Amino acid sequence: MKVEVSYRKKLQQLKTREIKKQAKNKLEGLDSEGATLQRTTEDIQRGKPLNPELVEAASAVASSLPLNKKQTESELLAQLRRHEETTDKQKKGGTVNLRNVISEMAVQRQSPSQRGVRLSSRISLELDEDGQRIKPERSPESSDSRRSLRVGRRLNIFTKASTETEDALETVSSPTIWDLEFAKEIAAMTAQPPRNGFEEMIQWTKEGILWEFPIDNEAGMEDDAEFHEHIFLEKHLEDFPKQGPIRHFMELVICGLSKNPYLTVKQKIEHIEWFHKYFEEKKELLQEM
Amino acid sequence: EEIVLPRRKTWDKLAVLQTLASTVNRDPTAAHYMFQDDPFLMPRNAANARLFALSMESGRNAAKYIIKQFPEYFDKILAEPNVPCLMPEMLTPQIEGVSEEALKERIHLRRVKESVDLFDQLIQASTPVSLETTNSLLDLLCFYGDGESTPEKEEEEKDELEEPGVKASEQKAPKRQSQRGLQSSGSRWSLFIDSRENNNAERIFKIMPERNAHSYCTMIRGMVKHGAFAKAYDMYIDLLNERHKADVHTFNALITAAPYLKERFLERWELAKDFLNHMAQQEVQPNLLTFNALLKTLRQCGGIGKSMSISVIKEMEALDIEPSLATYDHLLSIFYRGVEIRPSGIISDVLDDVEKRSFTPQDPDDARFFATAMEVCCDLKDIKLAYRLNKAMEKGDNWKFMDMDRSNAYWSKFFSLLCMMEQIEVVLKWYKEMSPSVFYPTPKNILDLLQALDAANHLEVIPSVWEDMKQLGFNRRPELLEELLSLMSRDQHPEEVQLAFAKCAEDIKAGYEQTGREQAPLEWTGSALGCVALLFSRVGRTQDAWNLLEHFQQINRIPTDKVMDEFLNCAKQTNCPEEAIKLVKLAASLGLSSSQRLKSRMEKEFELSEKQKKALESIRSDSDSSDSDSDSDSD
Repeated sequence: MKVEVSYRKKLQQLKTREIKKQAKNKLEGLDSEGATLQRTTEDIQRGKPLNPELVEAASAVASSLPLNKKQTESELLAQLRRHEETTDKQKKGGTVNLRNVISEMAVQRQSPSQRGVRLSSRISLELDEDGQRIKPERSPESSDSRRSLRVGRRLNIFTKASTETEDALETVSSPTIWDLEFAKEIAAMTAQPPRNGFEEMIQWTKEGILWEFPIDNEAGMEDDAEFHEHIFLEKHLEDFPKQGPIRHFMELVICGLSKNPYLTVKQKIEHIEWFHKYFEEKKELLQEM
Repeated sequence: EEIVLPRRKTWDKLAVLQTLASTVNRDPTAAHYMFQDDPFLMPRNAANARLFALSMESGRNAAKYIIKQFPEYFDKILAEPNVPCLMPEMLTPQIEGVSEEALKERIHLRRVKESVDLFDQLIQASTPVSLETTNSLLDLLCFYGDGESTPEKEEEEKDELEEPGVKASEQKAPKRQSQRGLQSSGSRWSLFIDSRENNNAERIFKIMPERNAHSYCTMIRGMVKHGAFAKAYDMYIDLLNERHKADVHTFNALITAAPYLKERFLERWELAKDFLNHMAQQEVQPNLLTFNALLKTLRQCGGIGKSMSISVIKEMEALDIEPSLATYDHLLSIFYRGVEIRPSGIISDVLDDVEKRSFTPQDPDDARFFATAMEVCCDLKDIKLAYRLNKAMEKGDNWKFMDMDRSNAYWSKFFSLLCMMEQIEVVLKWYKEMSPSVFYPTPKNILDLLQALDAANHLEVIPSVWEDMKQLGFNRRPELLEELLSLMSRDQHPEEVQLAFAKCAEDIKAGYEQTGREQAPLEWTGSALGCVALLFSRVGRTQDAWNLLEHFQQINRIPTDKVMDEFLNCAKQTNCPEEAIKLVKLAASLGLSSSQRLKSRMEKEFELSEKQKKALESIRSDSDSSDSDSDSDSD
């Protein structure tokens, strides 16, 4: 029967194990590990030898039953064996699972500097201002003196926007009060008082208090016309007769207007037009006369 | 031959003046140009300078106020062409009635209360107000923090912004500035913190029928500006929930709020990084102010700041954003704050960068750089770095970043460093050049100068330092006087010097003896009294010295042996044995151990008459003093 066969084989195995052990002791060889490995796998396969009481109980049960005694006994024993194996497996399985869990955890790689630091200064109990323990890497001088603005890694959060996207993103919107006030603040930051008279004059010129040099005597006048348009006004007399008292009169008018600095060119032209209209109206009267 | 007419050059209207200005150098004997050029009206020290400058500015502000309040008296245009900046501004709103146009005008004129009232009226009349106008109203409210922006308040704020050269720094008169700051923003603070109050901005925000990203952004910025950080964060979460995009300014504000939202350093940094990641996700490009805000937050993150700030700099480089002076200021503060200052390469790197560039103002914190950097140089005791920094400061327009207070602090530190590290000739050269035209020495500077003179064995300069001290108004500071007197009296000097010292001592004595003035009375200390007596003794002014020695009892002090020995020498040289006897009597009456020695010295070195010898004999120390007194009385 399976059980008996297995049991017999077990006994044989036990004997061979003893022989092997003695051989191992004699040899002191490297294959001892191999031998033990072999042994363990065989152990797992056969399982532990069953409790002899259980075996007797099983055979007793089998004999009580009317069916094939031997088969019943073997089945019972096999079942018991399976129980044992499952228990064993699950026992071992528990430890194996934990091993898996640990292997899944990421191992933090230590930089050489940290490792060196750990070796040189043991765990420091320095507390940062917020109550957190300062990591050892912060305390020694070497890491500080090695810091430089040239060496280091960036945060890698942003990517540089290409110029096209930059232009596209710039939406034209009128400056808000935030922008205006910020600009004022920035301008006021570097607005230091003038250090000498010339700087004071520069400031006054910018504010409009001081005249700009060289003096421009048309400063402040918003006159679009050039000087010749003020003075040479004959071209507006084309509509008038070329001879006669009216012409004479209008020429005097033009002479006066050209000397008048207070009227704009537009106003002067309006004057002349008014006269033109007036004389037109009076034309009929004059004709009659 | 062809004549080529040169093209006509056009000059900027300021070109001539700028050229002329560049030819003018600083006069080392004069005060700043803004002060009256009269020795009596020049400010004597830093506090005075600040006071004078502030008073001048306040005078100008008073004049502007009058013009603003009473424009009807200033309506005649007398100048041709008219000077608009001197004429009163038209600030009254023109559009009447309840309409959106009127509201827009009032918002533009920055009349907070009127705008809010008009808005409420429009809402009650069920007139729809456009989103744009409501947003600009929110802008106004969030900027001014719901307080009233009256003309007076505006003047006050403009004061803080536009006082050229006299902005209060953190060091000088901190109380005054913080009081003013609290007053002008205190009301806003409480309104934004305390949600029970009728906070107009939040109320209007809630009743808006529709809101866009701008509405949320301006609320967040306002809340951060006025200290309601938790509310700002909640508002940001609302913005995200509504699937809006925040703009770069809002993110900058949120990053500055991070230290107030979390306690632990790591959490603060993580929060700031979260904001950055959101920025990247929402495709908002960071600008210089973003990174400066980040570094400012890192200043409050302890040790994490050191490791992370370099990464921030590298990120800026990768995005081609050039650092401003504020960036460097934050860096220096991160690496060199606190008690442990370890030399690191950071400041050299920073100086390398600063030396190469000329800077334009981009961040309000730019102004702090030079003073911070000089402080670091001083703490590191590195004079070479300080020279480099000074050169960078004088390059181009960089000097403009420092106002009067910061400039004083900068030069004060620089001078201390020079006194510590440089030869005395160099120190004195800088001293003559820079004070009092560029900076006013602080009491500490005077102490440093005295120590430098001592180290270089140039104590004969002390009387001129005393003159400067009088000029600066430090002639009643006990610690300075003590130092001065002890340096003068420590060793013997050639006669001229000794005479000068004695004159100095007399001056100082007069200061101690002045009573009844507004100033706090100066109390004699034992060492001061002894020093002055000693100095008098060394030049043979026996009577003066004796008067001082008598004074010791009044202040319950005992003259040192050195003083008494010197007095004895003096009495010997000026042939005043009477005074010498008085000294021995004094010593005996005070029960001093040296009285015996003095007595024996007298017996050996003096030529005494019989009477005097007997008087001397009768002086006995300790308990017999009363007998000896009665003995001498009987003489």
